[in-house]
This record gives sequence, C-alpha cells and structure tokens, in this order.
Amino acid sequence: MSTSRDDFGIAIRSALLQRGAKQKFSLFVLILLSLSIFALDISELKLVKIFRSLLNDGVYRISAISSSPIKFSGTVKDFFITHIFVYKENRKLKIELERLKNKDFQTLYLQTENKKLQDIIQLEKKSAFTTIAAKVILDKNSPYLNSVIINKGSSSRVKLGMPILSEGNLIGRVVEVNFLSARILLLNDLNSKIPVMISPKGSQAILSGRGESKPKLEYLPEKFELSDKNLVFTSGKDGVFFEGIPIGKAMSEDDKIKVKLFSDPNQVSFVNVVLDKSSDAGAM
Amino acid sequence: MSINFKRLKKSIFEKGPLILLFYICISEFHMQFYYWKIFSFNLQFIIIYYWILRDPDILGHGFIFLSGLTNDVVLSFPLGTSALCYLFVSLVAAYVRNATLRSSLFTDWLTFIIAILIGNFLYFFLMNKFAEIQVGYIYVFYNSFFTFMFYPFFWVLFEFYRKFIIMRTND
Repeated sequence: MSTSRDDFGIAIRSALLQRGAKQKFSLFVLILLSLSIFALDISELKLVKIFRSLLNDGVYRISAISSSPIKFSGTVKDFFITHIFVYKENRKLKIELERLKNKDFQTLYLQTENKKLQDIIQLEKKSAFTTIAAKVILDKNSPYLNSVIINKGSSSRVKLGMPILSEGNLIGRVVEVNFLSARILLLNDLNSKIPVMISPKGSQAILSGRGESKPKLEYLPEKFELSDKNLVFTSGKDGVFFEGIPIGKAMSEDDKIKVKLFSDPNQVSFVNVVLDKSSDAGAM
Repeated sequence: MSINFKRLKKSIFEKGPLILLFYICISEFHMQFYYWKIFSFNLQFIIIYYWILRDPDILGHGFIFLSGLTNDVVLSFPLGTSALCYLFVSLVAAYVRNATLRSSLFTDWLTFIIAILIGNFLYFFLMNKFAEIQVGYIYVFYNSFFTFMFYPFFWVLFEFYRKFIIMRTND
C-alpha cells in the first residue's frame, strides 16, 4: 500500500519538476506563475487593467488577421450555396414580386393615411439615438461565454454597459472596453439579464439569456397572457439602457415564454453602439 | 543551402502541433456550432494531452502556458484561467507518461478522462468563484463528453503525423 503511494508521489513529483531536453520551465513554476497572473488579474488593480486593455487590443488585432482565412472560406461557401440555389430562388422571387406589387398599393394607401393622422395629432417623431457604427472583428463561441469583439473602444467614446444595436434592434451590451476595441455580451448569453417591457400592456419582465438562440422571459406578472401582439422592448428600469429599444417578439416554446430576437446576434457583421439619446433621426 | 532548407522543413513539421494549438487559441476557429450548440469539443485539451504524452519536446510547457494566456485574452476570461487548465492537463499527461511503461490508444483514452475532468472542473471553478461568470452545466458536460469521444480520432491522426516526423528526422 505504502509502496504504491510512494510510486504515485514520485511520479507526480517527477511530472511537476522534471524538465525535458528542450524545456526551459518546469510545470510547477508555470502553474505558480499562472496562479499569480490570475490573482493579479482578478484583483482589478488599475495598472493591471491598463496592461490587460493594451494586451487585449493587440491580441484582438492579431486574432482578426489570423481569422481572415476562416472568414474567407465562409464567404466562399456562402457564394457557392447562393449560386446553387439561385434558380430556385428566382422562381420564388417572381411569385413574391407579384404578391408585393399587390401589397404595394395597400401600403401606399396606409402610408398616406398614417401621415394624415400624424399631422392631426402632431405626434412627436420617435427620437433616435446617437450611435457609432462598428465592425465585428472577432466572433468566437465557447461553452462559457457568448460574445463578440468590435473595432471601437474608449477612443470612440464607447463605455461599459452601452447598448448595441443591429438594424435598430438590441443585440447586446458592452462588457469590456479597451482603447481600440470592446467586447459585447450577446443577449443569448447565460450571463445576460436585461429589464424589458412587453407591449401592448407594458408588463415588466427580465430577459434572461440561456445560451440558446431564444432568450427567456422571467419574473413576468402572475396573470400574464401571451398573445401574438406581444413585442418586447427595453424598459430602461436599470438606468443603463434607454427605454423603447426593440428586442423581439414573445412566443411560447417548450412551456416557457421565450423571445424570438428581431436580429440574430450570432449573425452580425456590423453593429451600432448607442452613445446617447438624440433627436437626430439620421444618426440611426 | 539544401541542408538549411531541409532543416527548416524539418523544424516546421516539428512545430506543426504547436502552430495548430496557437492558431486554434487565437483565431475564430469554432469548436462549437451555434445551431447545434450542444456539440462542442476542446481541441486544445486533445492536442496538449496527446503531445505531452507522446513527445513532450514538441509542445513545451512554456508554449502551452502562452497559448493559455492567448486563449484567455481572446475569450475574455481572467488571465491565467486557460493557462492553468492546460498546465493541469499537461500534468496528468506527464504523470501518465512517467507511470506507464507501454501506452496504447486504450490506456491513453481512459486516462484522458481524468485530464478532461480536472481541466473542465478548474475552468468551471475559477469562472464561477472568481470571475462570477455563470456557466451552463449541460454545455460543459457535453463539451467534456465530445472531447472524450473525439480523442481516438485525433489520436490516430496525430500518431500518423508523429510517425511522419520521425521518418523525416531519420531520413
């Protein structure tokens, strides 16, 4: 018994301390070094934060460059897939065009009516937000975190917690800011929790990411009844997000109330960072 | 000239697994599929475990440590998390290397379970306790399961590659 324990001890000690012919460091030294770096990083010292921010900027750029072959292969694949289905799509589009032509007349009528009604009630045009466009430079999934990196950071006035839009719809928020880049936590990440409002009744709830494509609505009012008209917007109750940013449509799936997002966060290439509220509609 | 070229070629082939490890850590290379999210595996664990077990000089502990730090930056984990996990996977591999006389695919595969468990437990523990990042238990379980299931496939592939390197060295 004691011999086998000795053998184990010798083998572990040897694995920890032994260095091969080409090895400069033993595992023991490197484990200690990793622990020290980890302790320093979570201590959130200002100097460490600055260093980490610079390191992030550098590594993200290298990462974006090294990912270009993967991105290129994805584009080539999409190109071929599009061409294979082009005839089928053409036929479908012709039918769709006919349908839309008919609908166009109806839309024109509704637009005129809408304008008239707006003039009557002098409805203030919905204010947009001051945003800056950013490009997604890195999108790496992991079982632990669902996030993307954008090419705008504190140098472009990006701050922690700022909402991120894609085609005018919320897809996430800023969780890490470096000088030239920032990390966005997507709405479907397990760590994402956002206060929302559900139209038309204005019910309050928390939109909680589940690591799946559709986040879940939690803490709904007891007598909440789901209908086809339930659209989800930010409520602004957390004091971080502005109210009224569209998110998605509530729906029932697997006996849970989930939200089908208007913009798929995992399919975005360009996003808008909301810097501030503005009456400048052109900023959107 | 031709001797230098031959040496360079040999050196590149020998550095193949290391280049692959760094490329996976730094690039957008996905080992998780969005539409079938339960399918994900940790190729880094497989590479580190196999090469430390079979030929530790190919990777080197220092480079494993650096690749871990790179992975932490790219995935926004606290610095040192992945490095620590990778080094513990290396430790298990180094222990198995010291403790066993003759290794086979079967023995490697079975002992790999311990490496995956320790590696993923460390990830999970450090994230939950220190970084306050919520982790989906089910995704970590599937990740561990598929990493384990894929090991024999990569074992055969790497074994072929290792023999290829040895053949070129003795050429």
